[in-house]
Amino acid sequence: MSIAASPFSKPYDDSHGGSASRSHARATALAGLMVEFDNPDALHDAAKAVRNAGYTKWDVHTPFPVHGLEKSMGIRPTILPSIILIGGLTGCLTGLFLTHYTNGIELLRNAIVPTNLSGYPYPISGKPTFSTPAYIPVVFELTVLFSALTAVFGMLAMNGLPTFWNPLLRQPRFRAVTNDRFFLVVEARDPKFDANSTATMLRGLGGGEPERVEAPVESAEPPRWLISAGILATCFALIPLVVIAKARNAKMREPRIHIVQDMDNQERYKGQMPNPAFADGRAMRPEVDGTVARGDIRDTRADVHFTEGLVDGDWAANFPAKITINADLLERGQNRFNIYCSACHGLDGRGNGPVNARNMDGRPGWETWVQPTSMHDQSVRDRAHGHIFNTITNGIRTMPPYGASLAIEDRWAIVAYVRALQQSSAASLSDVPENIRKELEAR
Amino acid sequence: MAHAAPAIDISRENRRFDDIAPGLAGRVWTLGVGAFVVALLMALIPTFTGKQTDFSAGASAFFRSYVLAFAYACSLGLGALFFTMIQHLTRAGWSVVVRRFAETIAGQLPLLALLGLPLLIPIILGMEGVYEWSSAAAVKNDASGLLQKKAPYLNATFFIGRMVFYFAVWGWLGSFYLNKSVEQDLTGDHELSVKMGGVAGPGVLLYALTVTFFAVDLLMSLTPHWYSTIFGVYYFAGCMVSTHATLIVMMVLLQRSGRLTNVLTQEHYQDVGKFMFAFTVFWAYIGFSQYMLIWYANLPEETYWYAARQSTPYWLVVSLTLLFGHFVLPFLALISKHAKRSPNFIFLGACWMLLMHFVDMHYVVSPDTHGYQQYLLAKDAGKAAAGAGSYMAHGATALLTDIPMTIGMLAVLASAVIRELGRNSLIPERDPRLSESLAFENI
Repeated sequence: MSIAASPFSKPYDDSHGGSASRSHARATALAGLMVEFDNPDALHDAAKAVRNAGYTKWDVHTPFPVHGLEKSMGIRPTILPSIILIGGLTGCLTGLFLTHYTNGIELLRNAIVPTNLSGYPYPISGKPTFSTPAYIPVVFELTVLFSALTAVFGMLAMNGLPTFWNPLLRQPRFRAVTNDRFFLVVEARDPKFDANSTATMLRGLGGGEPERVEAPVESAEPPRWLISAGILATCFALIPLVVIAKARNAKMREPRIHIVQDMDNQERYKGQMPNPAFADGRAMRPEVDGTVARGDIRDTRADVHFTEGLVDGDWAANFPAKITINADLLERGQNRFNIYCSACHGLDGRGNGPVNARNMDGRPGWETWVQPTSMHDQSVRDRAHGHIFNTITNGIRTMPPYGASLAIEDRWAIVAYVRALQQSSAASLSDVPENIRKELEAR
Repeated sequence: MAHAAPAIDISRENRRFDDIAPGLAGRVWTLGVGAFVVALLMALIPTFTGKQTDFSAGASAFFRSYVLAFAYACSLGLGALFFTMIQHLTRAGWSVVVRRFAETIAGQLPLLALLGLPLLIPIILGMEGVYEWSSAAAVKNDASGLLQKKAPYLNATFFIGRMVFYFAVWGWLGSFYLNKSVEQDLTGDHELSVKMGGVAGPGVLLYALTVTFFAVDLLMSLTPHWYSTIFGVYYFAGCMVSTHATLIVMMVLLQRSGRLTNVLTQEHYQDVGKFMFAFTVFWAYIGFSQYMLIWYANLPEETYWYAARQSTPYWLVVSLTLLFGHFVLPFLALISKHAKRSPNFIFLGACWMLLMHFVDMHYVVSPDTHGYQQYLLAKDAGKAAAGAGSYMAHGATALLTDIPMTIGMLAVLASAVIRELGRNSLIPERDPRLSESLAFENI
């Protein structure tokens, strides 16, 4: 059917007769019998005849695809599509596993996954940890990739490719197969093959006299220099791996080699550097006239309780009048807390968020890491509302300021939520509503 | 290949359509007009029964449904035009036996231009409930100021001018391909094929631009504050799905009535089915591309289009129907070769996709996005219950006019197609690639 023939790669025993009769130095054996046709219709009829005669190891060769030949030959439909489907499904599942593993495996980390293999649940623009729409491109691409690779390698494997040598290529007449001739070849390894009776059968197909296809009994060894070159090339190919392995495991005084410079050493102006692009030669630009820096506007506001958490110069003990404490505010506070605070302070506020968990595992360079303050410490409980508000706004110790990222209302919402968190860990029975209290006591 | 070409008596296979179904076009026409009347009554019922005292609400509902039905009918005409052009552009051999169907539908584009004329009424009258930008008061009172800024593009004069241009281009292209192909039936002139191929190149380019702008004008400008740069491709994908589905429906119905019984084979069903399947996936790909960027960026001016389609139970169900009915289900059902080679099965699939295209157009056109905005504003002002009433109730009621209107529009189009099919041969009898198409084999 196709030009790529099934390989006659196995050595043939000589029992079918036909010992080397040519002037070749090496002994050859009969590999098959070949008949030539000059049109596809004759080939169709010949294929049907050979099929009906019960042969199994045979093939046809044509200069162009001939439709319906697979029916004449009785070839079953390929199972490649089913294999590709399995490959695609594997890619789909791999994509689903990869996306969920890297984003949400935190949920399982204590159970099965070592810390340094676990994913990292970053909250990105307030999206849930498992964000299906964001995963679809990854899953889709992996499905396509796995399907395509399965298709290519499955096709190669099922065709027995690559085949580097085929006895047919030594037949001078066979060259016409890429031009205008059609061939049918019955291989000698077919169980029904017999040099005489098969030749008689083929002669009756109308394609002329069958031609013997000879193959060497044993193949020559490759030359010594080729083997040496192969061993050397393999050794050299290992060098980069050794270098990488050494670089990853050894300690060095020199900074590491930067092959791609622009990731680590970016071409940009740093503080105090000159920049000829400006008339005054400074890279750092002064404020434009009339600019009001962030925070500078606060002094013009009357309500410092609201904007800074101050009442008469001291931390406010109450919420400002503009903030109404209700379920919406607490939900907003929880939402903001989970996005901005929980990475360090943890969802429960005990100071055990993912950043802390990662840094507490004693990695080199992080030995001095200090666990973030727990919201449930007595010192934090005793702090006034305004004090906590100020901490969120301006930061404290290693905690950066969040005044630029969070609106004033949101900061107060977080304060309210922190108070709710504290309440939750130190609640007594008297805090429980009357109607539920009995139910609890019964337990 | 000579041996594979079936001996087909084309004159016997290709009996004219009108001799077995005389008066069919007339009956379909009556059905269409009747459906239009039903749609009009349905739109006006709330006015007559006193539920709404305002006449304009009924008129808006009527014309909104008209936009939907018109967009549906145009998607068939435009898909058929693209199908015809792309076959000529690629000099496709396989498709010759089904090309006359596409040519006939595309040849009705001048009729579609006439069917678009009623849309002048809401635009010239400036009905806010149809095209918000056409109302001078709505543009002036738009708090965001966006409608004023978009007015140089979105105004009645320019809009009508663009529509005239689009339909002039498509009307000429559609008539050109139908007339030249019918002319070839008589003369057998191969030069006509060359000529049609020559027009296809520039034609496809012009088509891509006009269809993109047409989708933006007709459908996207129903929500003039919203924008999506991929919207034109989304509409185009729907056009192609529904067109290939229509071709399959026509193939099956003609064969059932004893036409082209040996001309159209499994091979043609498989190829048209492949394209329908591919464009179904393409539709999902484009739909998801549009959704994911908007979901990820999470900008209110973009998300409200989707929010309006997810925040009431009815529209949520419609959204999920599209996801599963327009993609997941047909993807799984049609992926197999055997599904596409069975005329009965692919016929079911094609009818289903035509239904889903209606759901898609319903999803794009019918939601009361304006009402949703009003609802959000009312909610912000603390009057959630007041604003929700009309918006939450909207949805299924739109189907009352959408369904008869779409039936009416498609019946009028179908009537014209049947009439045209009755005049000409059902296949391009003397197309130089006809024999290739008759002998076409996939495998």
